[in-house]
Amino acid sequence: MDSKIKLPQIIITAFMAGLFVLAALLGMDIPELISGSFTKFVMNGVLVLAMIPMINAGVGMNFGLPVGIVAGLLGMCMAIQLRMTGIAGFLGAVALSVVPAVILGLIYAKILNMVKGKEDIAAIFIGYSFIPIMNFVWTVAPFTNREMLYPVGAEGLRPKISLENYFGSVLNELFVLKLGKISVPLGLLLAYAAVCLLVYGFFKTKSGSVMLAVGENEKFCQLSGIRIDRVRTTAIVLSTVIGAAGICVYAQTYGFVELYNAPLSHSFPAVSAILIGGCIGRQAKISHAVLGTYLYQTIYLLSAPIANAILIPQMSEIVRMIITNGIILYAFLKQERRRRQ
Amino acid sequence: MGEYVLEVRNLEKYYGQNKVLDKVSLSVRKGEICGLIGANGSGKSTLMNILFGNSIIAGTGGYSGDVVFEGEKVQISTTTEAIGRGIGMIYQEFMLIPEMTVAENIKLTRENTKRIFGRALGSELSYVDWKKDSEDAAAVLEQLGFQIDNSYLVKNISVNAKQFVEIAREVNKQDLKLLLLDEPTAVLNDEDAGKLMKVLKELAKKGTSIIFCSHRLHEICEVCDHVTVLRDGKAVSDYGREELDMRALARDMIGYDVTAVKKERRNQEKKAVLSFRDFSVYMPGEFLDRLNLEVYEGEILGLTSLSGHGKLAAGYGVMGQFPVMGEFLYGGASMDVKNVRKTIEHGIFLLPDDRKNMGLLLEHSVRDNIVFSGFYGRNLFQKKAGYIFSVKDKKEIERYVKEQIEKLDIKCGSPDQKVKELSGGNQQKVCIARAVLVAPKVLFVMEPTRGVDIGAKEKILDMLVQINREQGTTIVVASSELEELKRISDRIAVFCEGRLSQILPPDASDEEFAFAFTGEEGEDGQ
Repeated sequence: MDSKIKLPQIIITAFMAGLFVLAALLGMDIPELISGSFTKFVMNGVLVLAMIPMINAGVGMNFGLPVGIVAGLLGMCMAIQLRMTGIAGFLGAVALSVVPAVILGLIYAKILNMVKGKEDIAAIFIGYSFIPIMNFVWTVAPFTNREMLYPVGAEGLRPKISLENYFGSVLNELFVLKLGKISVPLGLLLAYAAVCLLVYGFFKTKSGSVMLAVGENEKFCQLSGIRIDRVRTTAIVLSTVIGAAGICVYAQTYGFVELYNAPLSHSFPAVSAILIGGCIGRQAKISHAVLGTYLYQTIYLLSAPIANAILIPQMSEIVRMIITNGIILYAFLKQERRRRQ
Repeated sequence: MGEYVLEVRNLEKYYGQNKVLDKVSLSVRKGEICGLIGANGSGKSTLMNILFGNSIIAGTGGYSGDVVFEGEKVQISTTTEAIGRGIGMIYQEFMLIPEMTVAENIKLTRENTKRIFGRALGSELSYVDWKKDSEDAAAVLEQLGFQIDNSYLVKNISVNAKQFVEIAREVNKQDLKLLLLDEPTAVLNDEDAGKLMKVLKELAKKGTSIIFCSHRLHEICEVCDHVTVLRDGKAVSDYGREELDMRALARDMIGYDVTAVKKERRNQEKKAVLSFRDFSVYMPGEFLDRLNLEVYEGEILGLTSLSGHGKLAAGYGVMGQFPVMGEFLYGGASMDVKNVRKTIEHGIFLLPDDRKNMGLLLEHSVRDNIVFSGFYGRNLFQKKAGYIFSVKDKKEIERYVKEQIEKLDIKCGSPDQKVKELSGGNQQKVCIARAVLVAPKVLFVMEPTRGVDIGAKEKILDMLVQINREQGTTIVVASSELEELKRISDRIAVFCEGRLSQILPPDASDEEFAFAFTGEEGEDGQ
């Protein structure tokens, strides 16, 4: 029953199809848009997967995604500092971000376990309060690679560090398949599939299935002798680690490591995406994340040029905000209605 | 006697599928005190809420039947309307504003105002005459025979005093025609309860009609002109002043027939396995007050009380679900109730009464539910699969689940069926199978037969006895079904208002039980 696609997903898919038609009518380059949709999809896909462990453990949406992102940024900065390049550089960055992700995740979990019942709002504010602290850290961190530092004064990390000489686009350019005019980034898709498979596999293990049970019925698990807080901590740390890996994938596609306030802009779209994919309430599946990311990112990708063409310039940003925040609100209403039944 | 102030005819009310009031009829004359008794969940509060126009009634689909107030058929849908008609209500929980003074609380919404401002700005915006309010409040408190300084903030006064302030607020209403009291004496000590009785009698003399809900039978017998007994939403009996008899009331309220005890008594060694020492549990709605009790090894101990009087609290307190005070000993050693895992590892296990929210994983299969606690909590069914991970021993699980399904006669399509699709009885059997697997030394079972059909009931009771006899498990059953407890228990502890009132053998007479339930025994001078 859960795996069936429900009405909201059909509406959104229809909306997306409508946008494609409209784009074609406006004479836009459809193959390029389709190719772009693949890259956009994977670029954000892993960040959306970072929602899954926390939702499934009943900790709520991972509004504190910036915590994981910061860990990923730290990892990438270290990789750049060590001048790691290519695929190895990318994997090195991911590996280097695991340690900060685990440490930050443990702190994040500690806080969320103290505010049971209000995790969502607490997570939002953890994100908001953590970023200014990191802003301070970025300016004083002892990195010495000149390409990372402000060109003038050579102190403090610059807001946008180019990955061109390191591991920018390494996955995007891996095994690109040309289908007529459409180019399919196979390497990127495979990498994403691998992460999906890992997460899927995790929920088949003993500690994964306990996580699902805790999310479904915390009291039951407690009375069965399961240490709830420990399971929740595992889920939060896992979400944080996936978030860290997610920003690495994002950055290599984007070509830049964005520091300072940038991490804040990722959490709402990611939450929105998994909700669009059909996740309401306490169970999130990989399929929700995959479908949701594709729909959300593609609609955004299409609506930007279309809105700019037929409406006023900059309209796309407004449309995006409406979709992102509206969907989150919709999901909360839906959850509440379910709870009352 | 005067004319009827209130007549209720054939009142019916459903909460969802649950019928909470079933053709209840009731009438109250002018100046009469009508007693309404019944266990919690018998429909008293619902009846009160209908009469007082509480929004919860309209919000859950309204009611059917007639309410006739002062000869006029009415459908009171808001509390404002009820107050406008001269109906007042005093709740079990306080409806006072803690940050305001006693006088302000009493006069709230009926403040005296300075007329000059009233003329200029309308009564809503006119200046409140504090002095006059304070005098009024003092006068009404004096009338109640209760002394307290008016200017205290309500949050700082005692529980007793709060109840009097609440009563004073209602009594102060000029045109009070009908006063509804929902267990007003539950929080009062005897002396203050006595005072309140006097006030009620005086109020009635002045022509106010009163509906008085209480568990305390002697109070009911003392003040009421007639008494209606509610049980499971039905008005089962009605007594006039002269026919009032505590025993009859108690029996009607609890409502069971006496049958023979089937189980022979066993001679047991009295070796305490669990000891409660001044054990209080702050469970909302089921407060347990300083329990001192020993549970003997190998026995089946029944815990019972009217609902809300504490029978469930002990088990949940042991499992760390609610804040506790006092000490809990297991085999002579003090236990930390907060460490639930350790408690379970020591061999104490609990099957909760709220199956849907605490006792089952509704979205999981029958198999998962049966093995969950054993597999994850006790690490059963694990085998090393050659590498570092231990994996589920699927064959062994399958065998065990099949065996339990057969043994308990769980009616399900297959072990893969989701538990939420099973009936209540079968769900409970799944819970029991889960407990059997954990093989605890002490098993707490909460309301094992609630919402269970008769066939399954027998199976479940049999199973409990079987676990007790074969595995030597000490079982503590909390249940409101006294009849069933009598059949399976070695001893039955009865609670009243959170205190242990009596420990009775299962063959004690029903009068003894009835008095234990209402806590009257002690007051009869034993």
